[in-house]
Amino acid sequence: MFRPLAVFLAVTASAAQLSAAEPVDYVRQIKPILRERCYACHGPLKTQQDLRLDTARRMKTGGDSGPAITPGKSAESLLIEKVTEADEEDRMPPEGKPLSAEQIELLRRWIDEGAKAAVDEPAPDPREHWAFRLPVKVADVATGKNPIDALLGTEMRKRGLRPLGSAAPQVVLRRIHLDLAGLPPTREQLRAFLKDSSDDAYRKVVDELLASPRHGERWGRHWMDVWRYSDWSGYKNEIRNSQRHIWRWRDWIIESLNEDKPYDRMIVEMLAGDEVAPTDPNVLRATGFLGRNWYKFNRHVWLDNTVQHTAKAFLGLTFNCARCHDHKFDPISQKDYYRLRAFFEPHTTRTDRVPGQSDINKDGLPRVYDSDAKTATYLFIRGNDKKPDKEHPLSPAMPAVFGGKIDVQPVELPVEAFYPDLRKFVVDEMIGKARENLRKADVALAAAKKNDAKLGGKKLMRAVALAEQKIKSAGAALASIKARVAAEWAKYAEKENPQAKGLALAAGEAERQAAVEIATLAVLQSEHKLTDLNVPSKAKKDDKKHKAAVDKTKKALAAARKKLEAAQSAAKQPSEKYTALGKQYPRTSTGRRLALARWIANKENPLTARVAVNHIWMRHFGRPLVDSVFDFGTRAGEPRHRALLDWLAVEFMENNWSMKHLHRLIVTSAAYRRASADRDAAAANRKIDPDNHFLWRTSSRRLEAEAIRDSILHVAGRLDLAMGGPEIDQKLGQSSRRRSVYFRHAYEKQMKFLELFDGASVNECYRRSESIVPQQALALANSRLSFEQSRLLARKLAREAAKEKNESDAFITIAFEQVLSRSPSSQELQLCREFLTDQAARLADKKNLTTFSGKATAGTKPSADPKLRAKENLIHVLLNHNDFVTVR
Amino acid sequence: MTYHSHSPTAHCSNRRAFLGAGMGFGALALGAMLQRDGWANGEANWSPPDGQPHFSPKVKNVIWLFMVGGTSHLESFDHKPALNRYAGMSIAETPHHDVLNPKFLEENVRTLAPDLRKVLAKLYPLQVGFRRRGQSGIEVSDWWPHVGGCIDDIAVVRSMWTNDIDHGAQLQFHTGRNTLDGYFPTIGSWIHYGLGSLNDDLPQFVVLGRPLADCCGGNEGHRASYLGPQHDGVPLTVDPKNPLPFASPGAGVFRQEQRGEVELLRKLNRLTAEEHPHDAALQARIKSYELAFRMQTAVPEVFRLEQETKATERLYGIDQSATKSFGQMCLSARRLAERGVRFVQVYHGSNGGAGGWDAHSNLKSNHSKNCAAVDKPIAGLLKDLKRRGMLDETLVVWATEFGRSPGGEGKTGRDHHPFGFSIWMAGGGIKGGTVHGATDELGFLAVEDRHYVTDVHATVLNQLGLDSRKLEVPGRKRLDIDHGKAIKEILA
Repeated sequence: MFRPLAVFLAVTASAAQLSAAEPVDYVRQIKPILRERCYACHGPLKTQQDLRLDTARRMKTGGDSGPAITPGKSAESLLIEKVTEADEEDRMPPEGKPLSAEQIELLRRWIDEGAKAAVDEPAPDPREHWAFRLPVKVADVATGKNPIDALLGTEMRKRGLRPLGSAAPQVVLRRIHLDLAGLPPTREQLRAFLKDSSDDAYRKVVDELLASPRHGERWGRHWMDVWRYSDWSGYKNEIRNSQRHIWRWRDWIIESLNEDKPYDRMIVEMLAGDEVAPTDPNVLRATGFLGRNWYKFNRHVWLDNTVQHTAKAFLGLTFNCARCHDHKFDPISQKDYYRLRAFFEPHTTRTDRVPGQSDINKDGLPRVYDSDAKTATYLFIRGNDKKPDKEHPLSPAMPAVFGGKIDVQPVELPVEAFYPDLRKFVVDEMIGKARENLRKADVALAAAKKNDAKLGGKKLMRAVALAEQKIKSAGAALASIKARVAAEWAKYAEKENPQAKGLALAAGEAERQAAVEIATLAVLQSEHKLTDLNVPSKAKKDDKKHKAAVDKTKKALAAARKKLEAAQSAAKQPSEKYTALGKQYPRTSTGRRLALARWIANKENPLTARVAVNHIWMRHFGRPLVDSVFDFGTRAGEPRHRALLDWLAVEFMENNWSMKHLHRLIVTSAAYRRASADRDAAAANRKIDPDNHFLWRTSSRRLEAEAIRDSILHVAGRLDLAMGGPEIDQKLGQSSRRRSVYFRHAYEKQMKFLELFDGASVNECYRRSESIVPQQALALANSRLSFEQSRLLARKLAREAAKEKNESDAFITIAFEQVLSRSPSSQELQLCREFLTDQAARLADKKNLTTFSGKATAGTKPSADPKLRAKENLIHVLLNHNDFVTVR
Repeated sequence: MTYHSHSPTAHCSNRRAFLGAGMGFGALALGAMLQRDGWANGEANWSPPDGQPHFSPKVKNVIWLFMVGGTSHLESFDHKPALNRYAGMSIAETPHHDVLNPKFLEENVRTLAPDLRKVLAKLYPLQVGFRRRGQSGIEVSDWWPHVGGCIDDIAVVRSMWTNDIDHGAQLQFHTGRNTLDGYFPTIGSWIHYGLGSLNDDLPQFVVLGRPLADCCGGNEGHRASYLGPQHDGVPLTVDPKNPLPFASPGAGVFRQEQRGEVELLRKLNRLTAEEHPHDAALQARIKSYELAFRMQTAVPEVFRLEQETKATERLYGIDQSATKSFGQMCLSARRLAERGVRFVQVYHGSNGGAGGWDAHSNLKSNHSKNCAAVDKPIAGLLKDLKRRGMLDETLVVWATEFGRSPGGEGKTGRDHHPFGFSIWMAGGGIKGGTVHGATDELGFLAVEDRHYVTDVHATVLNQLGLDSRKLEVPGRKRLDIDHGKAIKEILA
């Protein structure tokens, strides 16, 4: 499978090498030592003291303290001085054991021999890039302790950092609720938690939240960022991007997270759901990941997006850089880009029928399939699609540097997959519809007969005759569809059915018989129409229009008669030909995407788990372990917490790629529960690590756009918890009470409120930004959403507080608990008390009040009672409070 | 003169007033705490900037025009006839082969690219003619006729260099650091941090145009990093019809009612700030709320471009479809500067990717179209500032992340080129009609009076009366190169 990347470990110095009389080989003997012990701080990515030890020339140029080596004179070389320094404080490398005597001897000899190295010393071997080597768990994690705390603890101790203790229970509770469910705790949850003194109180909350359907909605939105969810966009009704009904993919994401579907399985379903479960509509939804890239005007743009974002989302690789030229930093050649494209070359999109709706514009299942196994993939010279390099067709492959094996096996598809209209429910619906037509015709005949009291003679006869012919034709149509279904089933779904030929003949006959009956009906209808037109009528006789109508009907009648003759003559010839039930697609899928998916979703892939773990970590802590979340290539320096990242990546894979396992591990760590309050906190820590890289405290952060909107509705007790279904018009964002994840989100179709709070960019959003701009204040202060919900909540809480002795204080207290998940401090209580009195007085003083201009916001109006209105205002203030949008 | 009458001094007191206003019993404590902790590490002798310039400023505002994607210096402000002479030859074949000096590349190019030198290919001839313009006779390409017409007010710097060969250079141009180093305060945020407000109703650092794409810095291109989010640039949309979403609570709300709420909100947030003196986001949010309520009326007024005369609209090309969009941005930039906004960062060509000027192919159609979109509006801005007497107090900077390669890419394009390229400045204290620095004969390397991007920052700060060393934050050691050196040669 994957070949080990740790090539250089084999060449560390040994006594045997030392004794050799031949000159020291820089590349083979010196570089490995420096690479392992020095590059991290004196290499291209981090150049402490301005010194780089990754090329011989750089060593000679040296850094802040002058040259690191003086060729020929090891005794005068700073490098030797530093590695042999007796004082531990000054010795290099500063961490770990000193260099061995053998290693030092090698360095000495190399310098004394003139420090020879090739002039054009090659760039570092990308195969040795940390992220391209398989993650391993470091051994020294103390058992019994959360490994996150063990690993962070080691780093903190090294630096003299002393972590803060756990945050107050209400702070932790709000944090975990918002983090795992995207909603703050209710007052009842808050009180219950504060009362629960059992050891596992917190763990119980975590378990409840992870089991809650709200969790999938919350984290679904996170992954929708990474996987680039977008509803369809385009001009008016014309789709230019993504797919209609792609919300089914969104529902798949949410459901998959809720059921803790293994991440490797999710990758396989998104990239190759149609190959791995070709008849399971629930799985097929997942291919929306690919369908989302559909672009009306340009197949190359479509495939470029597919390549680019598959690589970024799952592998943390910027393949897109290699579309026009070899990647400038990573071992990805321009050919590799097109080889990755080749996995997707055969695929395209389609929409399958779903039960209950025959019109796929109204509802349907958008999915992908391989439509064309033949189209070759060519490298486009300099990325120009007009210049394919046709001499060298490329087959699907991934760069060898990442290891692994691509094993493409074509997938034979079952009939339901390549012939979706032969699926049972479709057939049933077709037959049901024909049956319904027949039933209607029966009813119509009965009605026609009943009518004889009103209509006499010929006209009644005609109506009955027509109705009778309609029954015949509907009956024949039903027979035809049944016969065709039987024949198609025998032909495609069954192997060598001996009756197939007979069934085909019967289907042919039934269809032609139906054609005769339908043609007969058409003739009859035209005849009747002509008769009606010829009824003497003064008004119409000379009318040009009337004449035109008569001519037209005559023509139609002639045509109908001709058609009938043709149908009758066709019906005399036995034939196996009949019309298919619907479109058929290739019976084989190339298996390319499945091969790719299995290569990615693989424990032997060094990137997949790390990239996912990094995304998850970032969303728990507000900051990732690897800053460039979509680029783990050689430009991504080795992360500060690499041991932690790798430990978690391996842990993730060892636990069947369970995200919930990872979430639980992370949120039950002490690191996650630390306080952020820092009035008196560790000034020393702040000096050592002002940016909190080592997580000695919790860095507070702002809620994401969706969580802000949902929380407003939730604290007001008005959030509609209905799940799933078609996307909701984004313009209803201020009035609808559904969760934000269910609103339309597409190019030019985004909810303004969410956009202002750095909502996901539709194009790509691997990491949200967290801005603070005045527009956000205005959105919270002036929107219908915040006005309406504060008014409704205030009235509810006022009723509750009215039962209490000190109504005003009771109101303030429960308002704080409800909105900010904590009690007010005595100072806050005092301020709010004063506010309620002053504001009510202000509002009662009608002659001194002036309104703003412009239309009043829609929805619930303010209370007419100044006292209640002041309470509404107080809630409105709390929704605008810094701590409402902040996770501490 | 249409400047608002606020002087920097008045504003400092505003800032103080703001810190103290309505704080009740919490005020002193918070103030003391901010002082004590110095917002960083409790340095004894440090206090945050007082909003006063460090020395006498030449200008009040800066309008920073940034072309996203990399504008070719060779087809704009740095005429190199040798490219036509040697077109089709490789650099090594020309008498100027020494420009490929690997030592230079090694020192200046911070990249892991092994095949850097392959990028260069064959010299590509100039795609546009040049002519001498103005009294100064500086050569400007024919794609910039209107800016060329203002050349006597402009100082061109032809010897810029940067060291990111990719579009991360966009971020680098604003922070002075290679993206590999991470995020740092941008030039606009330093100014916001260092200087008091000239208008309390508007953000002092405004961004117009679509922000940089994620590839190239994203919002970090106008953010403040460790200076704290209250110094971030505020993006505004030039949409006269809907300048500010949720701008008003509407007739359902009383002004007195909102005022009462704002007052309580401020007090509550300040109480929280006492608990969290290091929470920069909270500080920023308090300020952004204050500003937001004042912006409710101030911002829509800025974008009422219909207040301008037809003649002014024509000056900026707003009457023509090709120049309308950028013309509106330039006009809005003037209106913002006029109302005291310190730093207006205007993007052209930001397209959610590498940028609109990134002409790897079809440079001729790409650049002629882009120039046609910005040339007249930029010239209009310069002329408008001048006739209003504002040009003396407004510094206009025109820049781009890097130039484009003398060697052709494909048959019709040029690659990225950070080793030598041009920018220009005009207005407050700039010696017009000047050319400073030079690239070699091929336009490859900046060879004379070389300037790294932070020299532009230093020049801007210098004109505003700021000394970047005095703005340093304890615990945030800056390097010499971060500070740069003001380009004195172009100053009047």
